[in-house]
Amino acid sequence: MKPSRRSLFQFAGGAVAGALFTPAPWRLITDTALWSENWPGIPRPRRGEIRAKFTHCALCTAGCAVRARCVGEQPVSLAGVSGGLCPFGLAAHHLPYHPARLKQGSASEAAAEVARHGTQGIALLDLNPGRTASWAYRRTMQAINGTYLAEPEPFAVDLRGVKTLLSFGVPVLDGWGNPANVFAARGSFHLIQVEPIESSTGVLADEWIPVAPGHESVISQAILRSLQQGNPSGLARQLVDNGPSAVLGDLPEIPEINRLLGAYGKIVVARPEAPVPESWKKSAASVTRLADLPDNSVRVLLIDEASAVDYIPWHRIARKLVRENPLVVTFTATRGGYARYANHAIPAAVYPEILDDIAPPNDRIAASFRLSVPLVTPPAGMANLAEFAGALAGVQASNSLRERVGEIHRLGQGTLLTYADGKETPLRDLPGDDFWRALNAGGEWVGEPSRTDPPSLQPAPVPSAESTGDLPLVAIAQPHNPPGSPIMTKLYQESNLRLAPNRIALSPADARAAGVRNGGRAVLQTRLGKCGVEVTVDPAVPEGSVRVGASPGIQDVCGPAARAKVVSA
Amino acid sequence: MSTETSKKAAGRYGMTIDIDRCNGCGSCMVACAVENNVPPAESGATDRTGITWIRVFQIDNGGRGAEKRSAFIPMLCQHCGDAPCVSVCPQQAIDVNPVTGIVEQMPERCLGCRYCMVACPYHARYFNWWDPAWPAGMEKTLNPDVAPRMRGVVEKCNFCHGRWHAAKQAGTSDSLSAYVPACAEACPTRAIRFGNLDAPAADVALGSQDPDSFRLLESIDTDPKIYYRSKKKWVREAANAPRPGKETPRG
Repeated sequence: MKPSRRSLFQFAGGAVAGALFTPAPWRLITDTALWSENWPGIPRPRRGEIRAKFTHCALCTAGCAVRARCVGEQPVSLAGVSGGLCPFGLAAHHLPYHPARLKQGSASEAAAEVARHGTQGIALLDLNPGRTASWAYRRTMQAINGTYLAEPEPFAVDLRGVKTLLSFGVPVLDGWGNPANVFAARGSFHLIQVEPIESSTGVLADEWIPVAPGHESVISQAILRSLQQGNPSGLARQLVDNGPSAVLGDLPEIPEINRLLGAYGKIVVARPEAPVPESWKKSAASVTRLADLPDNSVRVLLIDEASAVDYIPWHRIARKLVRENPLVVTFTATRGGYARYANHAIPAAVYPEILDDIAPPNDRIAASFRLSVPLVTPPAGMANLAEFAGALAGVQASNSLRERVGEIHRLGQGTLLTYADGKETPLRDLPGDDFWRALNAGGEWVGEPSRTDPPSLQPAPVPSAESTGDLPLVAIAQPHNPPGSPIMTKLYQESNLRLAPNRIALSPADARAAGVRNGGRAVLQTRLGKCGVEVTVDPAVPEGSVRVGASPGIQDVCGPAARAKVVSA
Repeated sequence: MSTETSKKAAGRYGMTIDIDRCNGCGSCMVACAVENNVPPAESGATDRTGITWIRVFQIDNGGRGAEKRSAFIPMLCQHCGDAPCVSVCPQQAIDVNPVTGIVEQMPERCLGCRYCMVACPYHARYFNWWDPAWPAGMEKTLNPDVAPRMRGVVEKCNFCHGRWHAAKQAGTSDSLSAYVPACAEACPTRAIRFGNLDAPAADVALGSQDPDSFRLLESIDTDPKIYYRSKKKWVREAANAPRPGKETPRG
């Protein structure tokens, strides 16, 4: 048979039709999916040697010990060494790549402008006091006759010694202390949480006492009166009978309640600080609280915002600045905070790019010294406030950490914990260089527990009552959050587990009255100003109140128990 | 449930989750996303379209004022012994590991038909509506043991199979006994525990026998390997709903 053109077509057609009855085309569909997996748009993870590095989280004073899993030099995940980490700490290795990171700003231009203004009326605001850098700031300010501003937390609490803990809205079980320490002690104390909305701490508290927002002091005043009269009843009776007891919170009555309960010097002690060289103490400016500074007295303000563990609303700072031509220079990693108001916002390195130590924790009564060791190299052009301010005053601050470690070693007390091998070594058995190396490898120095120093009783300032006329809602403020990785959108946006920083939550009735809907935009108005926000409608929010996120923009206009109004955007 | 199409496993890795210890901090969700290269939420992503292999839901007892109490329930793939998703997949992209009993998802085979999402009674499967994208530079932090998935495929919890393979490759009994998913490792309150349910002395095996432990939707007989525990009766009752908690739609 002679093959013709027609038979060739017939063969091809038959082959195609026959192939449909074989697995081949169906297999091709699967393979299409396989090929498309490798589109160039999908990032490919780096490969390399896997190793572990140890450091301490610098996002808050809890300073959790961290084991970083690294590919080469790049950390790809963080985990707690002696327990879990909070979600902010778990994703902190993303912070250097945050889209909101500040990248531009000239330290030399800022230095020139500070020089033009002169150092008269200069102040430095430290938002993470108690570190070695804080001592460098104090020495610098002393040398140029400036003011060192800080709001140090005065006390630490011995959770292992307390039997009953009464908390007025303090997030004891969610960010207040080192989770490993707090939950190790959790079984030994009875927790009573007083707050308007059942928070993460309230859920696990033994008792949750709901209270109308802004009326927490009614309970604290009743306890104080009851203790002063010597005839405790109700909650006061519970605290006295089930002691040792302590009370946590910012209300003005709480220091006196703790004194009457006998907690001072036993459960509540002055926050212990690791030793510092005597020469530093002699040449350091005193710590001034912002509220104690006269209004309109600061001509030049330097702010350490890059390592901040707190945020002070701008209006409290602004009233301390001179009216005519003040100069504000902030060292920050983000465009969202004081950079909005400063004359110069200078980009600074952040955890985990910078070598720093951690301020004393509030959940332990023994002094400790921990280093946050850099895991990645900071980008070029990052400035450092300690060096910037040191240059103004001729104070050399670059070797401060080494000097301080030398002083701790000279005193020879306490123990070194090394997490890589789980060993505890008495400090007196270690040479100085080995001590420094061990701290840089993620070790921690722990001193002897101190119960002798009762903290000074400084009543908290009482917020002035606001009129309620045109502002029908009372704000329920969130505790300050550390900076969050973009992956935190899993909690903010893809679930409603936490309130996003730029969100507010309203009860359905208040949302209806304000004409706003769930997921919509609105404007939050207070006496201090207004701020654009997104809205969540949440039946858990009591009517007549508004739960507000912790973004700097919201904190600038709306503090705890502030009167507020929400209007549709 | 048909047993003809399901694949029975020899091992039984599973979890116990103590609801009375969970404070809803979200560490498990973040640790999971970091470990498994799940990208940050797209601007339009919601709780329905986002990818959260483990998601913590808040439920309450319906009380008001001081009577109201809440609880948090972490929801993830329940790694059913008789998994409904396996039998419906036309691509055989879902498999039960015969050694571990882990229900594995192979996104390379997935065509994105989402039958498995419909079949899953726990709503623990997620569809990639967007190409995975990380902010510039953040792709350097991706876990080299887990491949990012493309748009158009379904994914879900696989008990951190990258960790399982690493433990297996290390080949020692210590490495296998130290194998633990990221969520269990990250949990600050130790509410999540992981291990072999068939090892009589393991924490999880003991926990699963606790009189206060329960599994979700036991009545449909999927034999899940996630055991929850709560002493509170209202929690045990509420957890019998298909998807606990009220979801708040976001615009």
